[in-house]
Amino acid sequence: MDTFYIVTLASMSLILIAAFSSLLAERFGAPLLLLFLLIGLVAGVDGLGIDFSNNSAAYMLGSIALAIILFDSGYGTSLQSFRQAAMPALTLATVGVLFTAILFGLAARFLLGFSWLEGLLLGSIVGSTDAAAVFFLLRAGGINIQDKVRSTLEVESGTNDPMAIFLTAALVGIIASGEGLESAGPDLLILFVEQIGLGLVLGLGGGVLIVQIIRRVPVERGLAPIFVLSLALLVFAYTSAIGGSGFLAVYVAGIYAGNKKMQSKASIRRFQEGMTWLAQIVMFLVLGLLATPSQFPQIALPAIGLAIFLVFIARPLAVWLCLLPFDLNQRETGFVAWVGLRGAVSILLAILPILGNLENGQLYFNTTFIVVMVSLAIQGWTIKPIARRLGLIVPPQIGAIDKLELDLPGTANHELLAYRVVADSPVLRGERIPRWARPSLVIRDGKSMRYQYAGRLRENDQVYLFIAPGYSRLLDRLFASKVAVSANDTEFFGTFTIDPSRSGEELDRAYGPGLLSDADKSMTIAELMEQRLGGKPDYADRVRIGRIILIVRQTDEQGAAKTIGISLEPVAAVSRLPLFLNLREIIQMVRDYARKRQT
Amino acid sequence: MALADLIGQNSVLPALKANSKKQLLQELAAKASEVTGLAEREVFDVILQRERLGSTGVGNGIAIPHGKLSSLDRIVGIFARLDQPVEFEALDDQPVDLVFLLLAPEGAGADHLKALSRIARVMRDSDMVAKLRATDNAASLYAFLTDEKASNAA
Repeated sequence: MDTFYIVTLASMSLILIAAFSSLLAERFGAPLLLLFLLIGLVAGVDGLGIDFSNNSAAYMLGSIALAIILFDSGYGTSLQSFRQAAMPALTLATVGVLFTAILFGLAARFLLGFSWLEGLLLGSIVGSTDAAAVFFLLRAGGINIQDKVRSTLEVESGTNDPMAIFLTAALVGIIASGEGLESAGPDLLILFVEQIGLGLVLGLGGGVLIVQIIRRVPVERGLAPIFVLSLALLVFAYTSAIGGSGFLAVYVAGIYAGNKKMQSKASIRRFQEGMTWLAQIVMFLVLGLLATPSQFPQIALPAIGLAIFLVFIARPLAVWLCLLPFDLNQRETGFVAWVGLRGAVSILLAILPILGNLENGQLYFNTTFIVVMVSLAIQGWTIKPIARRLGLIVPPQIGAIDKLELDLPGTANHELLAYRVVADSPVLRGERIPRWARPSLVIRDGKSMRYQYAGRLRENDQVYLFIAPGYSRLLDRLFASKVAVSANDTEFFGTFTIDPSRSGEELDRAYGPGLLSDADKSMTIAELMEQRLGGKPDYADRVRIGRIILIVRQTDEQGAAKTIGISLEPVAAVSRLPLFLNLREIIQMVRDYARKRQT
Repeated sequence: MALADLIGQNSVLPALKANSKKQLLQELAAKASEVTGLAEREVFDVILQRERLGSTGVGNGIAIPHGKLSSLDRIVGIFARLDQPVEFEALDDQPVDLVFLLLAPEGAGADHLKALSRIARVMRDSDMVAKLRATDNAASLYAFLTDEKASNAA
């Protein structure tokens, strides 16, 4: 029994250290996940001497952690972002993984002396971007990356794991059996369809189940998150058990559940957030513990070479090819190419060759480990500065707010919000709180009083309001501190601004001809944007019309567009190098060139 | 696209006086009419129409009014520097004292936009803007604007 306590003591200390390290990471901007991995390494067999080498336990633990992370990723993805990014993201998640695997496999053949199939296996292992890393790093540091790019990266990372897992599992099977790729080809295709098909169907079914159960069954509020998470893991396990992709299923279930109205949404959200943290810490720690860094030096050079090849050649090339047909500009494609973060999923997959008793099993693992560390270090450290350079960070529309959302038992139709009144906010300057917000209570200097008797609000007051769900953003504006207009705004919103209530006809006259069809001309610019977006235009939404892009620059109190920016960027090349151009731009360039030759 | 292709020595107004946005646009239209031979009224109507869509004051005291004319055969720019800034309904509510008018032929889709973004880029350079504000000599203004090196660095 003594060992049990010692093991518990050791693992809890590690988790605590990892959690503490987040403070450090915040200070230095270091990629936190890399830190978790390093803590595992230091505590492991070559460091402090914790000898953990149970590969299958690590694989199981990691898989469950990944399922939790994927469910939460889906849960936090709005349907609108998903729709907007689905096509490019899914192309990246399928064809992109295959391209990356093939390119990487070629390089591995030369650098590690692998056979063609073995190279491809290694390529598949590192083929997918890591959902945990991508989600975490794109949101870290309080930056807001342009919606289309962020959604593309997030949906890609949520959906490409199944592809990589499938390829890896299939290739391990083929290599272990000693047969060639040819004989297994048709079976492989059937297997693929089965995995993806079952994953989608059962994931959707699981999502419906989760929502129905939470809505129908009067569960204790504290238990609701447990219900949700257990059901999600049930979906994961069942789907995997009958031959589907469990990872795809939990992600899909997450998207469905996250976009439906449910009770206890806020507490589910908060619980989920905590669980994701725990899952990330456990996954990275365990994988760090599992590694044997004393074996790294023998293969360090080729592995680092491969990592650099992956970051600078394989990923950018694969991304560029996949995004050719889509409407992403140079900067956007460039950023997608850069954020090809590899993470725990790759290391997790690298256990499979060992479990499958392949020759060189440990070599796959060690190489992958180094590739992941290099990727987290290079890409993880530079996401923010690169996004800023490429002008992809959405300037904040409102300043900082200090807000708390509270759950009300028994109903999904009301929310209780608590705001702290901050300096420079409109309420402090005397702007009135709308009646529908039902301000109820003010806490001032530790004393509570009714809103009616509180008089004018003062700084540091805590105000409690009841509102219908979905309206909180309108209140945010009232309680936010001022935000300064910065020079980057022009970069993001374009040079000129127009009034959305003017007609398409006028827009066409100024920037056409041939910008809009006759039907479009009769609409106002706001209507036009709404039609193209398939929903009400929101802050920083973008719509391309011919050679110009319209961007919502300011919204009014009701959330409707008030000023629209016009960007002429598509015609002004960012770089003289013809990198990351999409198909439309390439055709345009060839045409321009031909025209110049003629004259 | 270099700014030298858009403006000539004679299309710089080094110390324009105007009391209002409307008067400023009228003065610009008059100069444009002198340079191109188009009717002043026609030019004025086109740029006023564009202003109705939204002010072309891009902030920082700079405006880039623009429009398209079927009777024009090339892209034409006019640069004006004002002694006294005028209210232009710009996004940042600052009055405007540097104005670059751009007129383009009806069919000049891409070239029109390229020229506009080029001008916007040059006018975003704070060194350039400071130099333009510091002198009321037409020849030096023209030299600053068309200095290839400076405008490329912008």
